[in-house]
Amino acid sequence: MGPTPYNSSNSSSSACSSSTKPPPPQPPDQMDHLLAGAGYKVRSNDLTQVAERLEHLETVMVKSSPVDISDIGNDAVYYNPTDLASWVDSLLTELNPNGSGSGSGSGSGFVSGSGPAYVSDPVMNDMNNVYGEFGQQVVTPIEEDVSIRLVHVLMTCAEAVQRGDLSLAGLLIDDLQGLLGRVNSGCGIGKVGSFFVDALSRRVVNSPQNGVVQVDLSAYENEILYHHYYEACPYLKFAHFTANQAILEAFDGQDCVHVIDFNLMQGLQWPALIQALALRPGGPPLLRLTGIGPPSLDGRDSLREIGLKLAELARSVNVRFAFRGVAATRLDDVKPWMLQVSPKEAVAVNSIMQLHKLLGPGGPRGPPVDLVLDWIRDLNPRILMVVEQESNHNQPEFLDRFTESLYYYSTMFDSLDACTAQPEKTLAELYIQREICNVVCCEGSARVERHEPLVRWRERLTGAGFAPLHLGSNAFKQARMLLTLFSAEGYSVEENEGCLTLGWHSRPLIAASAWQAIPKPSVVTTGR
Amino acid sequence: MAGSDQINVCESKKVVPLNTWILMSNFKLAYNLLRRPDGTFNRHLAEFLDRKVPANVNPVDGVFSFDIVIDRSTNLLSRIYRPAAPETEGGVPLSTSFNLLEKPVSKSDFVPVIIFFHGGSFAHSSANSAIYDILCRRLAGLCKAVVVSVNYRRAPEHPYPSAYDDGWTALEWVNSRPWLQSKDSKAHIFLAGDSSGGNIVHQVALRAVKSQICILGNILLNPMFGGQTRTESETRLDTKYFVTIQDRDWYWKAFLPEGEDRDHPACNPFGPRGISLEGVKFPKSLVVVAGLDLIQDWQLAYADGLKRAGQDVKLLFLEKATIGFYLLPNNDHFHIVMDEISNFLVRSRATTTITTATTNYCCFGSMCFWIARKCKKMKLVFCC
Repeated sequence: MGPTPYNSSNSSSSACSSSTKPPPPQPPDQMDHLLAGAGYKVRSNDLTQVAERLEHLETVMVKSSPVDISDIGNDAVYYNPTDLASWVDSLLTELNPNGSGSGSGSGSGFVSGSGPAYVSDPVMNDMNNVYGEFGQQVVTPIEEDVSIRLVHVLMTCAEAVQRGDLSLAGLLIDDLQGLLGRVNSGCGIGKVGSFFVDALSRRVVNSPQNGVVQVDLSAYENEILYHHYYEACPYLKFAHFTANQAILEAFDGQDCVHVIDFNLMQGLQWPALIQALALRPGGPPLLRLTGIGPPSLDGRDSLREIGLKLAELARSVNVRFAFRGVAATRLDDVKPWMLQVSPKEAVAVNSIMQLHKLLGPGGPRGPPVDLVLDWIRDLNPRILMVVEQESNHNQPEFLDRFTESLYYYSTMFDSLDACTAQPEKTLAELYIQREICNVVCCEGSARVERHEPLVRWRERLTGAGFAPLHLGSNAFKQARMLLTLFSAEGYSVEENEGCLTLGWHSRPLIAASAWQAIPKPSVVTTGR
Repeated sequence: MAGSDQINVCESKKVVPLNTWILMSNFKLAYNLLRRPDGTFNRHLAEFLDRKVPANVNPVDGVFSFDIVIDRSTNLLSRIYRPAAPETEGGVPLSTSFNLLEKPVSKSDFVPVIIFFHGGSFAHSSANSAIYDILCRRLAGLCKAVVVSVNYRRAPEHPYPSAYDDGWTALEWVNSRPWLQSKDSKAHIFLAGDSSGGNIVHQVALRAVKSQICILGNILLNPMFGGQTRTESETRLDTKYFVTIQDRDWYWKAFLPEGEDRDHPACNPFGPRGISLEGVKFPKSLVVVAGLDLIQDWQLAYADGLKRAGQDVKLLFLEKATIGFYLLPNNDHFHIVMDEISNFLVRSRATTTITTATTNYCCFGSMCFWIARKCKKMKLVFCC
């Protein structure tokens, strides 16, 4: 080898050989920003240690057979690959059960292992495949131009609304109606565009301050739309499925368990959990379910009806079951004493698309979300399951909300295009339309669809005294397998620092995360 | 063989920055879990482990991105990266950039469109993998180019020729988008890729030869090629720098048709079953080879094969580089290559006549390096 004026030490400024200097010490929490860009969080000060663990891992791997290595790939459960240190340690533990334990990494989350087997959802099994062939959409060049113009005018109209120029907005809406007539309103931008035009025109005609933007539906009508949305696309099923998995794991070894459902609706989530508990090794626990829902104004006691149905199912599989309905218009109307939580029971709080409704203007006692999170914490639940829309529809500026929701719902409608079953598809679209309307037309306390993305919920929940419980590779794999039931290939499950998201193609649309309450420090008068 | 493993570990640690070493070692060890001895692939775990990032229509460091399904029949997705135009789009809120996503790139300027194929040995990674998203952003920003990163189908579930078919679909799609056209109302198309992506570049360019589609240049970063024989570099560098012959063999077996060996022309384009490119109107090529990549003999043979066929090829040999050097911008090789790519795009503007390839020089102003090894056939001399 000849001389190399190219000095390799220039490029390896932090290489770990004796001839180069170690990197300068960084502030303790400083992450290596290049690794962060690649999706890994490693503190700069920990780089050397993590490298050592990787070396150790390699040594151990070299000694293992390829079959053993591939077995730990198949069987073990992993959590949060972004935390590289923990990931390396979990591999070391798998390969070396008697050997060195973890020297670094938080290792938070469930105790790894196979966990209780998850029983497939009877509701989903019964569902026929509602998806037909994903037909080709032919968009002519002229249509493409009209579509682009449609979006352009939508944005201009939204800008006018934000500025308060309602007369211009009104004119633009006429323009939009015309454009809608010229695109294929059966799919794509034509479909979702029509909902946004509708929402804008409602806002222009009935300014939000004056109240009625959309006629309230009866509880029954709401349930119908919800049910068809549930059937037409996998978002709610994924939410229920992932939540049940996590709750099941949290209840492992517990004899008395209590699930508090923040929105019972038709209780579609619970048959699967009841079945899974029935099949639990060691037998089922005593299961209490408290379902929160709006008060019935039409004489039906729908909460009680659902409770009875679930009780019957539980009886048929020999699960001791008790149900309680709590009627409340808003979550912050619920008082903890209504839930009658006993200290002996393991509590799971289940919030599917509910917490965002608490982000509206606060009352005299403070922001509703803080109050509710506080009493949840007081219940000391073993798990708080949170599933939320993965988007920021709660920005203060109207235009930002409008734009973000246009992207979000376009993607959701795109995914819905794959559903051909009727009336599921049309009613699902109506369900989504009501959400769009709320985001676009309403303000103040009427605007309840205040979706915020996972990063914001993480901040909020951590600040409220909750620690993350990581959803692992097992839940991830099960969710992916669940999606293969849907022949529309395009849904994607992703792992995001211990949380799971479901999206269409590469755009996450809903995010599921699990949390554990950190017990409040007790007021101690003796001792320290 | 604990002793030699320690040596291996120390060797690779000396030549890359610590964070790069961690990144590459992590991939190496994690990927060991995914390749099953029976030839199947643990796709669930692979997707769980892969760090992905969403597209972002808000410009970040002057580049914004969005995803498009370019073929609904196969759900072929591509992520498009565009530099945000400084005056008109920079600082403009999200609201108006939504409808500017598919605005024509430029009427007057030459805006290269780089169709990018990510690496991963045909089995790993996606267009939305964090490491590739960030690489494409850098490419788009540094070269002022539109980058179309293709989410091609991967082995072993979709072996040969799926990836090539998807590459071809992407090329046809790019070529037919009016909004990707710029100066002279043409799309100025380049193909680029690393590892398996580099291999795809060659195959797609080959297929394009018989078509009307004009590709201005090929950029191959550590392209994945191989052959049935074991070469000197394979033996010398096996296990030393994050890659083993064993894993290379596994990936080829997963990608190539059942029963085929590594002299299949997809793997070994200028091997015993290769086709000559003599007299063929093939795009000019930039081939980047890392001196610590164990398959470098095959990569050098590729560049040589192009040269012998009278094609325009520039070889950039980086003696001390390992695989993946371009994933983090913390080394000189990264910057050298980015500059070289940038210059390549500019130089390839005008259609060139085919000239016989001459000795290639690499000289970068104040920075230069000297290649001690000479490739017998190529007589490469790098000097300053």
